[in-house]
Amino acid sequence: MIPFNFEYYKPLSVEHAVEWFQLLQQQGKKPVYYAGGTEIITWARTHAIRPGAVIDLKAIPECNVMDLNEDQLIIGACVTLSAISAANHFELLSETASGVADQTVRNKITLGGNICGNIYYREAVLPLLLANTRMVIAGIQGLRESSIHQIFAQKLRLENGEFLVQTRTDRSYLSLPFIHYKKRQIGNFGYPLVTVAALKKEHQIYTAYSGVCSFPFRSALIDHTLNDSSTPLAARIEKAIEQLPAPLLHNVEGSARYRKFVLKQTMADAVYALESR
Amino acid sequence: MNDVTPPGLLHAKLAVSPHAHAKIIAIDTSEAMKIPGVKAIITGNYAPILTGSPLADRPPMAIDKVRYFGEPVAVIVADEVYIAEMAALRIKVDYELLPVVLSPKEAYQRNTPLIHEELGTYKRHEQVYPEPGTNIANRTKIRKGNMAEGWRNSDHRIEVEVSLPQSDHAAMELRCSSAQIMPDGKVIIHSTSQSPYIIRLALSDAFQIPLHQVIVHTPLVGGSFGGKAAIQLEFLAYLASRAVGGRAVKLVNSREVDMISSPVHIGLYATIKLGCTSEGKLTAAEILHLYDGGAYSDRGALMSRSGAIDCTGPYRIDNVHCDSLCMYTNHPYSTSFRGFGHPELTFAIERAMEVLSKRVGMDPLEFRFYNAIGPGDTSPTRTILDRSNLGNLPMCIAKLKALLDWDDRPLRETDGDIIKAIGVSCFWKNSDTPTDAGAGAVVIFNADGSVNLLCGAVEIGQGTRTVLTQLLAERLRMEDRMIHISTDVNTEKDPQYWKTVASRSTFLVGNAVLHAAEDAITQLKNITAIVLQCSPQELDVGEGRVFVTEHPDIGIPIKNIANGYRYPDGHTIGGQVIGRGSYTMRNLTLLDPETGQGNPGPEWSVGAQAVEVEVNSKDYTYRIINATTIIDAGKVINPVMARSQITGAMSMGLSLASREALLFDDRGAVLNPQFRTYKLIRYGEQPQYIVEFVETPHLEAPFGLRGIGEHGLIGMPAALANSLTNATGAALNHLPLTPEMIWRTIHDSV
Repeated sequence: MIPFNFEYYKPLSVEHAVEWFQLLQQQGKKPVYYAGGTEIITWARTHAIRPGAVIDLKAIPECNVMDLNEDQLIIGACVTLSAISAANHFELLSETASGVADQTVRNKITLGGNICGNIYYREAVLPLLLANTRMVIAGIQGLRESSIHQIFAQKLRLENGEFLVQTRTDRSYLSLPFIHYKKRQIGNFGYPLVTVAALKKEHQIYTAYSGVCSFPFRSALIDHTLNDSSTPLAARIEKAIEQLPAPLLHNVEGSARYRKFVLKQTMADAVYALESR
Repeated sequence: MNDVTPPGLLHAKLAVSPHAHAKIIAIDTSEAMKIPGVKAIITGNYAPILTGSPLADRPPMAIDKVRYFGEPVAVIVADEVYIAEMAALRIKVDYELLPVVLSPKEAYQRNTPLIHEELGTYKRHEQVYPEPGTNIANRTKIRKGNMAEGWRNSDHRIEVEVSLPQSDHAAMELRCSSAQIMPDGKVIIHSTSQSPYIIRLALSDAFQIPLHQVIVHTPLVGGSFGGKAAIQLEFLAYLASRAVGGRAVKLVNSREVDMISSPVHIGLYATIKLGCTSEGKLTAAEILHLYDGGAYSDRGALMSRSGAIDCTGPYRIDNVHCDSLCMYTNHPYSTSFRGFGHPELTFAIERAMEVLSKRVGMDPLEFRFYNAIGPGDTSPTRTILDRSNLGNLPMCIAKLKALLDWDDRPLRETDGDIIKAIGVSCFWKNSDTPTDAGAGAVVIFNADGSVNLLCGAVEIGQGTRTVLTQLLAERLRMEDRMIHISTDVNTEKDPQYWKTVASRSTFLVGNAVLHAAEDAITQLKNITAIVLQCSPQELDVGEGRVFVTEHPDIGIPIKNIANGYRYPDGHTIGGQVIGRGSYTMRNLTLLDPETGQGNPGPEWSVGAQAVEVEVNSKDYTYRIINATTIIDAGKVINPVMARSQITGAMSMGLSLASREALLFDDRGAVLNPQFRTYKLIRYGEQPQYIVEFVETPHLEAPFGLRGIGEHGLIGMPAALANSLTNATGAALNHLPLTPEMIWRTIHDSV
């Protein structure tokens, strides 16, 4: 159980949320934004975090949008992973989202929570990295929009008091050929050893990874290597492995050596699958 | 049990050690005491006693040093659960780290740090042979036959080394105990336990309370698998209550505490040398079992004994040398787990059998069939086996072969990247109870002719209480819906039963129930004989009546006799019919400390199992397709429940073999004390389960039944390892069998 008292706030607008945050922070209450709350429960019950106040974003209309219009797919940060998969506007995102945890938990985990949380897999961000999604952020100055690549580096780089409101993905990415593989220690549930999401645009393959390092990433260097059709696939994979942005993860799911083995296979499978499409 | 919260109830929580081995220099509870709502905080020195059976080596809270990550160091009592937990976080303990011993193999080496320096001073309750100056809590020896001759006659000889890690019972319901001390000194305990009568005994012993003043209630328990047979929270709940003047206090484990601080499933490291003739007849076995008992021996000392008693598996081996040890390590301490040492010993011997069968070039089932133990042979403890005390293994194997179409299928075949393979295992199990383990039963007739059955078997989800009503219904020739049994046990009112473990409840309590039924029948007949003016021998009981056997239409409805019989003129004879019965183990003996000779239990249940897998040869991921068990059940009393008991046990065995393990860092801290990271098999990952029964009666049991509660689990880890070994060609001797384990075995041997 969560062994401490904390305050609960449920603002009805972006402005109120941001204002409350500032106020509570000034009062020394260490406020935390949340939507699903699964991470707060996970960390608080093991006494790893101790917020004095939580700000529930689920009543904010902009955070609950799921709208496919002429140009874009707009998904609010408080939309759950199971809702996203059920609506299935962006198949790669649906598949990636439905690999996270299990059904019961996905009914609570939100897109924003999965991306902004402290658990470092953040798998739902992979399709967004590949689709060059734009992120709408709320802060004291109001709303701002930027490309995901400008504000996501290992995690979403938010200023103090900011929160993710929506993601906006260009329609042109939604039905590109794609592939998604999630390899785990064993079975069909659990954290990843290796998750590879990839899509193909204009004959180029773009890949993104979670579980490989201690953060999700997309790498232009690796993509360049993998797309070099003048080299045999096995050689491309060997080279790409050397270009990882950080050492391979070693944790209770699996060792770094084993991850390397799994990653090579999964990368090869991804490239092979997309090359022909 | 945690569903009930009477008013005024206080709540307790544990503060536990973050170190696996350390001296306690000082404990500062002052910050914690300041929190409003905290009623009391107690630490080790509040209860300077040692608990545990057979070896009393464990203080309820750590005293002077901690021996495992998660060991309780204090109990906090407060108005609310969250206050107690907050206070637990504020307890400051100064530790001085000690070197850690993190495997039974390491614990066995000379010059390893001692975990129990005072081992020689510990009280011994039953047969147990600790070795002071070492980390050996118990050593059981089997010395049978002539090893030199056995090896001389061996044309083939192999050796395997296996290991199984500790894991968690993972029952749905968390452990929970509450205690209250009444003004007259009565101690009332509620507990999610398999052992209400042992709780009573243990509290009485530990705290010098007269036995009859300790009353224990166990409700319907939400799964246990041996983990709730241990007594831990009950001591702490009692001490917590005492610390607040006897007020009712409830202590519930969080899942993390339930996984680590409360005892776990025992691990094993073993080496086996096995020999046979060129025809494949087993000649000699030399076995070393090092069980990972963790920081305190608890029932580990007896599980290691079980490991010796049945060390050969269900095979005829004339020359056996076995040392089975319960080792201390700086791991969470181990207690009984479904199988009681047998899943572990079976994994070892079945891997050895598999390797040897390949060496001789015999089919794995043929090899086992050829060496199957049978009537006239002796067990490792030299008990002579017969059709009654031993199930029929050859019949189980024959039936398995038929079911699997064994002779018409390959052991292994490939289909592109996929390799399909099958692996087998046989198993046996006898129980290792005290020689005086027993049960009582009371059969009370109600005025309407229905019956209340009172007994001490706990309902832990195994359906034993249902089966007991069936046994009674059969004997009384009554409809079983006329027999009532409550779901709880109350030690004050229910006749004693040793404890609900060992798959012996239907045997012991069942015999007591039948004895009580006989007693009730005698009373019914005696009253009826007077009324009908005949002799009791002329009467029979059935279908709700007592009637003359030769003239069934002459009789009296039971409801007219159940409370005595009243003549038309008002004159009444007899009184309420209350049948009483009891049964205690017969002919069990202690084991000779040098040779292991003795009679450990009433009967050996046997079975044959198989697992079929499909392995992806590129990445070593696999699916378990089918799992099959043929078991000699003696007599199946409730087919649906028997089948689900076996299936559930098989599922547990496959789960623990494929993915369950407590993972430790190099300081002995547990890395995965949560279900996020501790893997369990799930829906969608289960194979198809096939269960069939053979029936060879055990003549001393009700209707010939044999206990089958644990057995489905026993051979599953070995069968899975054998199937994956057949598929991949890599000798898989270490659990858990994750794809990484398979990959490492293949790649590290290259």
